[in-house]
Amino acid sequence: MSKIVLIGSPNSGKSLLFNRLTGLHQKVANFPGITVDVSSGSLQSLPEITLVDFPGTYSLQPISGDEQVAVKFFTQALDDPNVTQVLCLIDVTRLEKSLYFTLQVIRESARHGKHVTVLANMMDVLEKHHIQVDLAGLSAQIKAPVLPVSARTGSGIDALLARLKANQLQPRSKAAAALTDTPDELLRGTALQLARRFGPKGDILIKSQARLDDFFLHTTLGGLAFFGIMYLLFQSIFTWAAPAMDAVEALLGALSNIVVPAIPNQMARDFTADAIFSGIGAFLVFVPQIFVLTFIIGILEDSGYMARAALICHKPLRLFGLTGKSFIPMLSGVACAIPGIYAARSIDSPKKRLLTYMAIPLMPCSARLPVYTLLIAAFIPQTTALGGLVGMQGLAMFLIYFFGMACGLLVTGLVSRFREDHFTDLPFVLEMPPYRMPAWQPLLRNAWNRSKHFVTKAGKIIFGVTVIIWVLGYFPNGGADLNASWLGHLGHVVEPIFAPLGLDWRYGVAVLTSFLAREVFVGTLGTMFGIEGAEENMVPLVAQIQASGLSVGSGLALLVFFAIALMCVSTLAILSREAQSTKLAVNLFAAYGVLAYGLAILVYNLAGLVGV
Amino acid sequence: MLEGTDVKNSSTSLWSLRAGERCRIESFDDKLAERYRIRMMELGFHPGETVSCVQSPALGAPKVYRVSNTMFSLDDEVAAHIVVSLLPHE
Ligand SMILES: Nc1nc2c(ncn2[C@@H]2O[C@H](COP(=O)(O)OP(=O)(O)O)[C@@H](O)[C@H]2O)c(=O)[nH]1
Repeated sequence: MSKIVLIGSPNSGKSLLFNRLTGLHQKVANFPGITVDVSSGSLQSLPEITLVDFPGTYSLQPISGDEQVAVKFFTQALDDPNVTQVLCLIDVTRLEKSLYFTLQVIRESARHGKHVTVLANMMDVLEKHHIQVDLAGLSAQIKAPVLPVSARTGSGIDALLARLKANQLQPRSKAAAALTDTPDELLRGTALQLARRFGPKGDILIKSQARLDDFFLHTTLGGLAFFGIMYLLFQSIFTWAAPAMDAVEALLGALSNIVVPAIPNQMARDFTADAIFSGIGAFLVFVPQIFVLTFIIGILEDSGYMARAALICHKPLRLFGLTGKSFIPMLSGVACAIPGIYAARSIDSPKKRLLTYMAIPLMPCSARLPVYTLLIAAFIPQTTALGGLVGMQGLAMFLIYFFGMACGLLVTGLVSRFREDHFTDLPFVLEMPPYRMPAWQPLLRNAWNRSKHFVTKAGKIIFGVTVIIWVLGYFPNGGADLNASWLGHLGHVVEPIFAPLGLDWRYGVAVLTSFLAREVFVGTLGTMFGIEGAEENMVPLVAQIQASGLSVGSGLALLVFFAIALMCVSTLAILSREAQSTKLAVNLFAAYGVLAYGLAILVYNLAGLVGV
Repeated sequence: MLEGTDVKNSSTSLWSLRAGERCRIESFDDKLAERYRIRMMELGFHPGETVSCVQSPALGAPKVYRVSNTMFSLDDEVAAHIVVSLLPHE
């Protein structure tokens, strides 16, 4: 099996070309450093050849841990006898940016006897501006073929394929041997001269782009536009995702009504109804949200606005050790942590990405909302202050949301100060891509792929947890009485943990089941109090909780606990995948668990002191 | 940061440019780590190159610079350590 390696600097159009050559649809986005994975696919017209897509790097001289990985993969690939050719993709409109890198790639490939073909991408842009470049002259100077292509229009692709085919017949390349001993400094000088000589002469950046920036980066107008766009982002979650979430619920409900009565065996019937439909359903309702958020974030990236948003948020976030690129992932965490974690891929500094991963689970996600609603309704009086201007319940909701976000920033601010780790850090250097019309189809496909990734990767774990919880709750008495089940017993076992918060075993059980998704807390507590359908109508449950004589302090402690604790199996599963570190997920789970519990005890006792 | 330090009279830092101003890169100061210097050169910020400041948003946000046909947004962490001399308006 022959392999061809595709390499190029960020934003040179690598993803688009890869998709065009393989027909596989990989993410295409307009934000530097988006490709973290090494993906591969067989060439559509030459299926015996595999194309391997490498993470975009600006240079073979790595300055961060991430780049080091990318470069290591590249040198390994050059040692691989199956790799016969290297494709080096450059953005022809920005030759000066890519030539040094190209020369490095040519040198390394020549050392390993691999064919290199340099692809001058974005030729369509040059043609549109009637600008000529002397690719033949350049090719003669760098001693490697340079082919004009456009990943967008597809021009030049046939010539490229013909070339690849011809190269395959000639296993070892003898070209470019001249470069093999050239040191980096000389290479850099050569690159500069070549760029001055062959770079496109002419103004490719269009005036309208500058005018868009005048608007979007304007102090007041740009600020307003920023808030407007973020508002739309949130609004769209409610207008697009919410109905889809309701639809998923309704569909599962209808399906359950058909399937469940048809099952003859009582236990199998209960399992299907409670574990499959309700349990897995609680997880599946988040899929529309993940889809919509990923799609919208994709639009922001592909249109070029993401880089502007990062610029606007950079200064304030820097105070907390983060970068402007952390903003969108964290904001998305306010709806759901999962798309936020996916979006954090585009943060090029490994240190800042790690800090962003730490902050995201503390953002007040939508699964916490039902829990907050229940607890606030039960424990915060419906009174108003300041002559009716401020409702206490509304104020409490605002405060607990703010508390989560503030904790997130506090944690990153502290950790960033205690972790001096320069090699993994990168300063803020962000290429500002031109504003473009987003390419809808790849964005939809990407949102679909992420949703699928979520369902398959988190789904297995969720299913396992669901089955465990169901078994514990069902036996030994066949689900007749949750209180007398193993889960009920477990609640009694963990009761001492919750006693310092003034909570009894029933809350312990509800907290245990909320690992599935935080909102499950409400339903379980309902069941414990003998109320069906507490998710839909909380009023009877609120009355029961109030009648059970629990103190306000316990309620506040639970609120604080839920704001901090990372009890979301899906988040943990996706986090350990995306960060490639189970350790990170486990450590965060433990650390936030301890912090949540400690703060909850503190709040409970403070409340006791002031006598509420 | 770093304006009017030990460099030549007409020199200033890239960070001090206002929108619309052009400059020529002279050198990098010692406070910029070697690997970042190399990266900046790889991105096109070579000594001798002409750079213009396209946007300097309010409140100390990163500024947008143009090198040939590419726009980069830089923060003062980097831009304050690039020594430049101002060029007259075109
Ligand atoms: N006009 C034009 N745009 C392109 C071409 N190739 C890629 N692009 C656009 O450039 C942007 C960056 O491309 P992408 O494939 O994400 O780059 P990567 O970062 O190298 O993977 C996307 O918005 C593409 O639509 C091309 O040949 N012509």
